[in-house]
Amino acid sequence: MADTEFDVIIAAYLIPDLAQEDFDAMVRLVADKRLEVEGVALVTIATDGTPTVQQTGDHLGRKGLTIGGGVGLVVGLFAPPLLASVVVGGAAGALVGRFAKHKVDSGLGEKLGAALPPGTAGLIAIYDRSKADVVDKTLVSAVKKSVAEVDGGGAKELKAALAEAQAGMGGG
Amino acid sequence: MCSPTRAALLTGRNHHAVGMGGIPEFSGGFPGYSAMLPRDAAPFPKILKENGYATAGIGKWHLTPEKEQGPAGPFNHWPNAWGFDYYWGFLAPEAGQYDTMISENQKIIGVQEGRDGKPFYFPEAMTDQAIDWLHGVRGHDAEKPWMLYYSTGCSHAPHHVAKEWSDRYKGQFDQGWDKLREETFARQKALGVVPADAQLTPRDAEMPAWDSLSENSKRLFAHQMEVYAGYSENADHHVGRLLESIEEMGELDNTVVVWIWGDNGASLEGTPTGTFNEGTMVNGLPLTDEEQMQLTLKWGGLEAWGTEMMYPHYATAWAWAGNTPFQWGKQVGSHLGGTRNPLVISWPDRITDAGGLRSQFTHATDIGPMLLDIAGIPQPDLVDGIAQQDFHGFSFTDTFADPNAPEHHTQQYFENFGNRAMYKDGWWLAMRMPRTPWRLDPALLAKFAPGVWDPDADPVELYYLPDDFAQANDLSATHPEKVKELTTLFWEEADTYHIKPLLAGFSPFFGILPPLGANSKVTYYGNVQNIAPGVVPRIYNHSYTISADLLIPESGAEGVIVADANHLGGFTLYVEDGKLKHTYAFLGVFEYRQVSTESLPTGEVNVELVFAADEAKPATPGQVTLFINGKPVGGGRMDHTVPFRVQRLLRHGHRIRRRPRRRPELRPQGTVRVHRHRPEGRL
Repeated sequence: MADTEFDVIIAAYLIPDLAQEDFDAMVRLVADKRLEVEGVALVTIATDGTPTVQQTGDHLGRKGLTIGGGVGLVVGLFAPPLLASVVVGGAAGALVGRFAKHKVDSGLGEKLGAALPPGTAGLIAIYDRSKADVVDKTLVSAVKKSVAEVDGGGAKELKAALAEAQAGMGGG
Repeated sequence: MCSPTRAALLTGRNHHAVGMGGIPEFSGGFPGYSAMLPRDAAPFPKILKENGYATAGIGKWHLTPEKEQGPAGPFNHWPNAWGFDYYWGFLAPEAGQYDTMISENQKIIGVQEGRDGKPFYFPEAMTDQAIDWLHGVRGHDAEKPWMLYYSTGCSHAPHHVAKEWSDRYKGQFDQGWDKLREETFARQKALGVVPADAQLTPRDAEMPAWDSLSENSKRLFAHQMEVYAGYSENADHHVGRLLESIEEMGELDNTVVVWIWGDNGASLEGTPTGTFNEGTMVNGLPLTDEEQMQLTLKWGGLEAWGTEMMYPHYATAWAWAGNTPFQWGKQVGSHLGGTRNPLVISWPDRITDAGGLRSQFTHATDIGPMLLDIAGIPQPDLVDGIAQQDFHGFSFTDTFADPNAPEHHTQQYFENFGNRAMYKDGWWLAMRMPRTPWRLDPALLAKFAPGVWDPDADPVELYYLPDDFAQANDLSATHPEKVKELTTLFWEEADTYHIKPLLAGFSPFFGILPPLGANSKVTYYGNVQNIAPGVVPRIYNHSYTISADLLIPESGAEGVIVADANHLGGFTLYVEDGKLKHTYAFLGVFEYRQVSTESLPTGEVNVELVFAADEAKPATPGQVTLFINGKPVGGGRMDHTVPFRVQRLLRHGHRIRRRPRRRPELRPQGTVRVHRHRPEGRL
């Protein structure tokens, strides 16, 4: 896996339960072994503006982890207080992914919570670049998507890619 | 369309005959489209006023030429001159319901505060004003008759209403517009308001089938209709408040209430996807489905649809569903969907057939003659010494007692932005031009430019309404002689009532504008506020300069120098953190910001913004340069500019603050000057 190239996608949704459907579809692809992800998270923004990580699926499809059972890479990208609402499971220590050894505090959660309006949702995923087309077609209800390449295997590169994807969500 | 129908209603004459063939924003140098009420067409409120009635107009107006909506007047086309002793409302074609720019009599007084500590909301405020006026009249004179013109902003865009109202309709439109139309039609038949043999007309291909939509679209669109429904019910609630107040005064039984509901057919102007900002359509900016979704997200998602963050309008096909069982809607004057609205008249003392239905053909021009007939006032031959045009409408008071009374209004033309119809003795010739109401973009309009479009070359439709309530069966192929007769009659009417030149209501889009005048420099002294869109220096599509003299104290200052409109279209030139800043909102789609590279000095300071257009053309890109005391201090490129108009009023100077001030408020020392370059241009 060391040679695998990764992309980060941030997708925004007008309708939270349609975001949930896309998330579930992505999880099903992983279960069917048609997709591997380093991490995926669904964030909903309540009508009062409170962001909540609804689901996570870090290292879905990897040996030793169950779907949705871990709190790892993607959730780790979210800064407190967002994390306060997440129940951290024991599986976190079992992370074996490329980026897992890094602690990446990008502040992305706060940024996403601030960027997405109340009553909407966002999905973030890190996945094998060769499956970009699969991911794109899976997230059918996203009204906006931004993708960035992760140039390297470290936290710095991941953070840069996240920043690029985040920037791509701005503007019109 | 708003202005033509209002003009016809208030004057009793055909809209072109009183200069309102189009709307005041598109007024041009043609008699039928001047937006200037002629002196030979006194409105019926003026006649009532001159015959002892107290009169008031409350709410939307949209009948005053834009260029006259300022302190310099003239005021002979403002509401008071139309015969209203008192006016309170907005002059514009539409207005945000939370921050409405209010006019009172002959002055724009700007955004008002809500009562009792509550936020301002126009439907509530206008009703309070109407009730206050009634109480005042009765408190002054126990017997004097009165006439109130109560004209809501609803259900015109923007669809602004509190969530508690739209939530009442949650889930009620999930079935979509196709099904809603069938349900409505069945209910109409059950109520008997359409004949049992009426046929439901099909959806035009310009509007998508509900089942063809993505789930995303269905959810967004259903919410648009929930907001529209809540907005409409809210207006109905306030109408109820008004009627209750009349009842409380003990006068409801002897009050004639004429209730007309609709936007001359529900409005198709929201584009097939609905829009977060109706201003994009008004400015001819086509947006894709994807862009509309993204911009909806940008400005707050579904939760913000109905709030001041947007200027929303629902999807076209909801309007079509609202016009069940007819075809088309607002702007499409060729068909009943764009012309036929429900009319209810209540007068408990004299109309005993409560709930009865009447089917005689009536027109907006009939309302004035009918009310004067009730009041026992004949149409005056002279008003203010001016010989008057005859009313073009007819009283229909005989239908109150007799459901089978003869039809008096047997012939009527219709024309709106090129869509035409001719009605005579039950026959209806529909002459629709091949333009959808939600498109004002230059590429499409070029097809209808003078000398390009032959209106008689388009297909027509012929209906016989006594047998075909909904215009479902086109008889043009089998009755060519009737088509010819009605076509000829329409053009005769066109000569009589100043309909020609056809499409003069679009003359600004074809570069035919009234003279702008030689004055290309405007100077604002002191505290000038609330300048109407038509009076704002026309900086669109040209190079321009804004120059201001400031006095900055030693402790510094910040604040707005000049601002026009808001985040959905407009600009602000301001001082913040010691820097000169400029923000330009391109209709909520793009924002451009420039910040000076240097701080403002203290003392007397001149600042300037220079926009250098690439060329004088609609929506021109250009370069902004900021100056402090004549020295360039930064700037930036603007790739898009608003070509036609923003929806709000220009304000200037010290009343505006972007946030609680931290420093002494900036005050222009004396003047702000706006200079539109190239005054010969007419874009």
